[in-house]
Amino acid sequence: MAVEPIAEQPEQKVEPVKAADLVLGVIADIDQESLVTLCDSLRTLPGSPIVAALRNDQAAKPAGATSTAPEKNPSPYFIPWPSSKTDNPGTPAVNMATAYQSAFAVSEQLNARACCIVASTIENSKPDWIRQLVQPLLEEDFDLVAPQYALRKFEGLLNSSIISPLARCLYGKRIRNPMGPDLGMSRRLFTKMLASEKSAGSGNGIHPLASIAPAALCDNLKVCQVHVGPRTYPPPDWTNISSLVSQVLSPIFLDMEKRAACWQRTRSSVPLVSFGQPVLLPQDTGTVDISRMVESFKLGIRDLQEIWDLVLPPSSLLELRKLARLPLEQFRMPDELWVRIVYDFALAHRLRTINRDHLLKSMTPLYLAWVAAFARDSEAADAAAVERILERLALAYESAKPYLVSRWRWPDRFNP
Amino acid sequence: MWGEMKQALAQSTERFLTRFANLLPGTAALLVAVLISIVLGFLLAAIVRRVLTSMQFDQRLAQWGFRSSSEWPLLKSPTLLISRAIAASIIVAGFLIGIAAFDAEWTSLLARSIFAYIPNMLGAVLVLVVGSVIARYLSRSVLIGAVNLNLNYARLLSLGVRWLVLVLTVAMALEHLRIATGIVELAFGILFGGIVFALALAVGLGSKDIITKSLERDAQKVSGEKIEEPFRHV
Repeated sequence: MAVEPIAEQPEQKVEPVKAADLVLGVIADIDQESLVTLCDSLRTLPGSPIVAALRNDQAAKPAGATSTAPEKNPSPYFIPWPSSKTDNPGTPAVNMATAYQSAFAVSEQLNARACCIVASTIENSKPDWIRQLVQPLLEEDFDLVAPQYALRKFEGLLNSSIISPLARCLYGKRIRNPMGPDLGMSRRLFTKMLASEKSAGSGNGIHPLASIAPAALCDNLKVCQVHVGPRTYPPPDWTNISSLVSQVLSPIFLDMEKRAACWQRTRSSVPLVSFGQPVLLPQDTGTVDISRMVESFKLGIRDLQEIWDLVLPPSSLLELRKLARLPLEQFRMPDELWVRIVYDFALAHRLRTINRDHLLKSMTPLYLAWVAAFARDSEAADAAAVERILERLALAYESAKPYLVSRWRWPDRFNP
Repeated sequence: MWGEMKQALAQSTERFLTRFANLLPGTAALLVAVLISIVLGFLLAAIVRRVLTSMQFDQRLAQWGFRSSSEWPLLKSPTLLISRAIAASIIVAGFLIGIAAFDAEWTSLLARSIFAYIPNMLGAVLVLVVGSVIARYLSRSVLIGAVNLNLNYARLLSLGVRWLVLVLTVAMALEHLRIATGIVELAFGILFGGIVFALALAVGLGSKDIITKSLERDAQKVSGEKIEEPFRHV
């Protein structure tokens, strides 16, 4: 996934605003009224921070930054996104990357103490969760505030199966949503992100979303989580899961390669400081149809052998073949097998065993097999049972870490 | 009579021996040239291989976005491919130099025509290498894409695409070598058309289910039935 450079420098557009305490980057669609309510809510935080909100051009006035009440109080300011890339056609992940970079650049220019990006839909009546994301930054001097969403068991599956347990295992902190996308960041962190973006140059493939949490955790910055309730976002495009898997995993694996020296030192994991009360959503306990996903996996076993042979060790391939022969009712993927698959794909990505896009897209049937097995495991489970299943998976990631480290260091010598 | 026959025999033997003696320096020069070129070729190949290995050429090539060693269809690695190609070209050049050492007109002509043919051969080899890499890349793209679309004939599609590109590549290479161009064109047309027709048939017949499902989904959308997908990945 290519990260586009910021096409237009934001100097001219933010000229009227001299400084702000907090920059709020709103990627989600929001109307004027909700944005004002949100900013007013943020201004009630201790110290009455000056807020500058970045929003889509349709809602912003073309003259650039404006203030709702310039004579009395200069806050909040509304600024259109510098490059307006959020409205352009293209992959959503690229637009998100551009938005993050723009928000960092504006925050630095305004000498802001903190920056908060809001990518999820904001419900008019509940802007409180954004306030909760900002509060630890301004009051407790945290550097990164990650969200902890209240999810139903079949939501955020890519995060549950790979992103979250992998980040926990690699960096030793139990972070639930390392890729946000709603995140609060301190000045220390966003200047670091800007500096690393400048030094790496554009087109390096590293997505800021995949780098923020690892950068903070590797540099021992203060990281916390906030229970923000359920997240509202558009439904997925079922025909495009392989692109989704490739787009999401590619920057994660690239970042993993960049920070190998950091994560190879970490052994176990510790919980992060959490704020707020967890929200428990009602979980459906009905049977789900996994036949399509299992069918996709079986097709992969039949036709993608030549690719998987290059990536996976014979023991994993043997287990996958056994799995493909199981009837639907007994379809279970052992955690250890799934963890090894993820590690082997990360390693193949690093070694460029085959074209990286091919590699990640060929992982889709395996991911669907995990989803199917997870659905079978948790179809009758309540929220606590689902938590236990995910915790077991995270522990499997941690216990298989020596395998990853060994293969990472000696890919040719260590191949079971 | 007998005397005349003896004389004719002696003359022909003398002629043969004279011609053979004339050929000897050329033959010796050919042997020496080939031997020297073999030694030189292997020496240069070894040096190139060592230099490329110390530069980690294969890994660098992979980092620059070219195929990794397991992907190279002709040899085990690009380093081996380059060093062996250098050795082979030096040996062929030595052989041609040796041939040119014969003092006969036809050997010079042969050497000249072979030298003139070398660019065609190199072009054909380049076309074959590039074609086989493209064929592999495209067939793999099609295979993965088709499997992810749950198409049962993914392998067939992938094979079809691979052979389409390979047939095109071989036809181009033969055209470059100017070998039986008429036959090649005809055979290429027949093969290419046949593969496209077979693929069209396979896709057409195999897509029945997909089109039916797609139409059913559209019909459900029109009739207002809610299709709830419980799984969300991001």
